[in-house]
Order: sequence, then C-alpha cells, then structure tokens
Amino acid sequence: MLDSVTSAALTSALDGLSRRQRAIADNIANVNTPGYHAQRVQFEEALAASVQDGDGRATATTSLSAEPTRTNGNNVNLDTETMSNIDTVLRFQFATQALNAQFTGLRSALRTS
Amino acid sequence: MTFDAIGIAGTSLTVHRKWLDAIADNLANANTAAPTSGPAFRARYIEAQAGPGTSGVYVAGVREGDAAGRLVFEPDNPLADAEGYVRYPDIDLSEQMGSLIMAQRGYQANAQVVDRARTMYESALQIGRSS
Repeated sequence: MLDSVTSAALTSALDGLSRRQRAIADNIANVNTPGYHAQRVQFEEALAASVQDGDGRATATTSLSAEPTRTNGNNVNLDTETMSNIDTVLRFQFATQALNAQFTGLRSALRTS
Repeated sequence: MTFDAIGIAGTSLTVHRKWLDAIADNLANANTAAPTSGPAFRARYIEAQAGPGTSGVYVAGVREGDAAGRLVFEPDNPLADAEGYVRYPDIDLSEQMGSLIMAQRGYQANAQVVDRARTMYESALQIGRSS
C-alpha cells in the first residue's frame, strides 16, 4: 500500500504541479522581458497513461508556448498565467489532501492489529 | 530550490522596483534644465533579461538617454548661455507614464504570485500531518 498506484500517482501529480507552479512564476516574472517565450508544463496525459498501465509514475515535460508574440517578442498572457496559477494551487491542495487521506487510511490500518 | 516560485517572483519584484525607481527619477528630472556647456539629464532605461532555465529575471543593463537633450530658448533662465539657450532632457512624458503603469502592474502581478506560492507551500507542509 505504501507504494500503491494511488500514492505514486499523487506524488507524480504533486511533482508535476510544483514544476508547473515554478514555470508560471517564471512566466509572470518575465511578463515585461523582451523576447521571452512562456513555458508550459505537461504531465496529465503521461500520468493518465501511466495509471492505465498500473504504474502511476510520470515525469513532467516542459515546452515553449507557440502563441503569437507582442511587438517586443514576448508572448506571456498575464490573464492565462494568473488563471493557471490559481488552478495549480487548488489542484496542489487537492492532491495534498488526497495524499493525506491515503496516509490516514494507512495509519488506521497499522493501528487495528 | 525548495520554495522556488517565491524566489523567482522575488527576482521580478526587484527588476520591477528598479524599473519604477528609474521612471520616478526620469519623471522627477523631466524639467531639469542644464547649461548648454554640459550634458542634459540622461534618462535611465532598465534592460531586463530572462535568467537561464526557470530562474526568473534580472537587470542586464541600464541604457541611458541622449545627453544632447533639446535646446530651449529661455533667456531669463540663470543657466542660459550667451544666446539665451538652456538644455532640457529629451524625455517623452507619455512614454514614461505608460512604462510607469506597466512596471506597477508587473510588480503587483508578481506580489500576487508570492502570495499564491505561499498558499501552495503551506499546503505541502501539511502532508503526513494527522488531522
């Protein structure tokens, strides 16, 4: 149960989300930097496929946004990044709670013997 | 490494604050006259550059405005030369005001990132804690 698919998947999700959070922070940090291209972190598809295979581990990949740039060569959208930022924080809290529930179950299983 | 997002937003807060400082200085000196024998006040423009990977942003350099400025006929000015000219800096006020708003909004956006990152890390610290 300690290394169940659920635990592995939740840990991978937390890892992917914290990478995404870092990328968003970098994107917003460079909102006014000429020539900067926004970074995107993907892990959901890889994680879903991994869970399907009964593994649960997945690594996040980073790519550059292909959106059209402004006149200064920058393509960071502050509204998209802000939405994504809030979304990531909520998902992270959700995954944290799920992982805690997992541990709580494990803890009660250890007590009932 | 551990609380990355806060540090990344922090680098940008620094860059935007330096930008705001430069704009404030430029605006404050927009009407500073100088004698024609010397240079005019030189406006400062902050040049931002993204750090390698996800390491935020830093000030790569400061570009200075034209020292020649613009010559204005003000014979009553005590700094005026024999022909009655003084040197004013060539600062575009509307451009500076536009930059001021951009710098201010950029600063606010990054301050909010710090706040949201803190919420996220606080939740991470709850992992494994029995409720």
